[in-house]
Amino acid sequence: MTAVGSEHDGVRAIEAEAAPTRFARGWHCLGLSSRFTDGKPHTVKAFGQKLVVFASGDGKLNVLDAYCRHMGGDLSQGTIKGNEIACPFHDWRWGGDGKCKSIPYSRRVPLRARTAAWTTMEQDGLLFVWNDPEGNPPPADVTIPVIEGATRDDWTDWVWSETIVHTNCREVVDNVVDMAHFFYVHYSFPTYFKNIFEGHTATQIMKGSGRPDARPPARNGEPQMTGNTSIATYHGPSFMIDDLTYHYDTMDIKSVLINAHYPIDANSFVLHSGIIVQRSDALEGEAADVMARKLGDFILKGFDQDIQIWKNKTRIDNPLLCEEDGPVYQLRRWYEQFYVDVADVTPEMVERFEYELDTTRPVEAWRKEVEANLARRAAESQPA
Amino acid sequence: MTIREDNRLLDGAPMLPLRCAQCGTRVRVRKSSWHQTSIQWDAEAMDACLERRASTPGGGPNGGRFPSCEALRQTIKQAALDGAIPVPDDHYGPVATVPETP
Repeated sequence: MTAVGSEHDGVRAIEAEAAPTRFARGWHCLGLSSRFTDGKPHTVKAFGQKLVVFASGDGKLNVLDAYCRHMGGDLSQGTIKGNEIACPFHDWRWGGDGKCKSIPYSRRVPLRARTAAWTTMEQDGLLFVWNDPEGNPPPADVTIPVIEGATRDDWTDWVWSETIVHTNCREVVDNVVDMAHFFYVHYSFPTYFKNIFEGHTATQIMKGSGRPDARPPARNGEPQMTGNTSIATYHGPSFMIDDLTYHYDTMDIKSVLINAHYPIDANSFVLHSGIIVQRSDALEGEAADVMARKLGDFILKGFDQDIQIWKNKTRIDNPLLCEEDGPVYQLRRWYEQFYVDVADVTPEMVERFEYELDTTRPVEAWRKEVEANLARRAAESQPA
Repeated sequence: MTIREDNRLLDGAPMLPLRCAQCGTRVRVRKSSWHQTSIQWDAEAMDACLERRASTPGGGPNGGRFPSCEALRQTIKQAALDGAIPVPDDHYGPVATVPETP
């Protein structure tokens, strides 16, 4: 084969290290907690392992390594007995703390009969698991904020969905900064865009107007969507809360959207989306539930557009950016903090960085002000 | 994974130091157009910024973050208008090409 391009004639090479085999430190959402409270153990493949999720008799949700330390049986195929998960192979009983509590056919449990247990948290109807390759518990200041609407009657229940995506999860995180893709992939029109990276949070603030070329015109008497205001923050490496208001010509609709994922392995992840919508005078009772489902479908359509891109694209560590692109490199610098030991987190990974694009003031207005400044200075420098 | 430098910082304008006209906090700033601004803070700047110290968390699940320092925004705007922070021209004409290296 003849190389058409090479370093020699200035062809830019795409560079990419293999996706990390280490998994991010942080809280990961495993989905609606109600999914796991049906009295059965559940298999979850995450962090390169097979896990068992089970609700113990005391109502708590527990996450353990699925493989029994006795002879390797799969606990997620076992049975919940009281507060313990019983292995289907020899009935060994494991507690949510990872300790073997009893062996029905033995007088005593051997020493060091302990398996890997993950710290869990239930909040707002969701189950979270703490992953840390160093094995430390979550620091007190690394939390997932409470989503008030999730437990309130004047908001709908979660409309939740899960999809497996066959690529490394960095692709989904990159979207935080990818302003231009919202126009080309999702048919929205950002007029204001801001990223703030600070500590373990990464925020995207976006105000957009609807694209008249991409939406059907409202039928007579129906409200017309005019745009949206979105304040979306990743709290850690994988859980994004989007405080999202849809603007219509006659009303605003308030919603909270979740965009979360957990890695299955280095090259696949489970992508979650969830939405709740606030009931209002304009959106009473059933109408809010219908709207939540409609928006849920709309969001899934957005994810499908992303997935189409992801499953065909290549991993790229050296994206060639133009000035109109968002801060991809700075985001990845932030994201790196979750893939190194706590002791190796450098200031540049966590220090505040802001990127703002505000198109509300026309360029012409800026130019006029510069010209006025220059004219004033010229006048001032004239001898009296 | 190696942390790489933004190609725009290598080929284009760097982040330039700037002091806030109100409290003297030092940050690094870059503008890629009249509409776009990047601000890099460090730990010292975060402690020093008066607006940040006086700020209280806003509402909603993401209200914990400090949205922006208005005094610093004004300082940056003025620095851009005065030419202290360069602003590339915003004309969307033919894109200037980088001279080929021999």
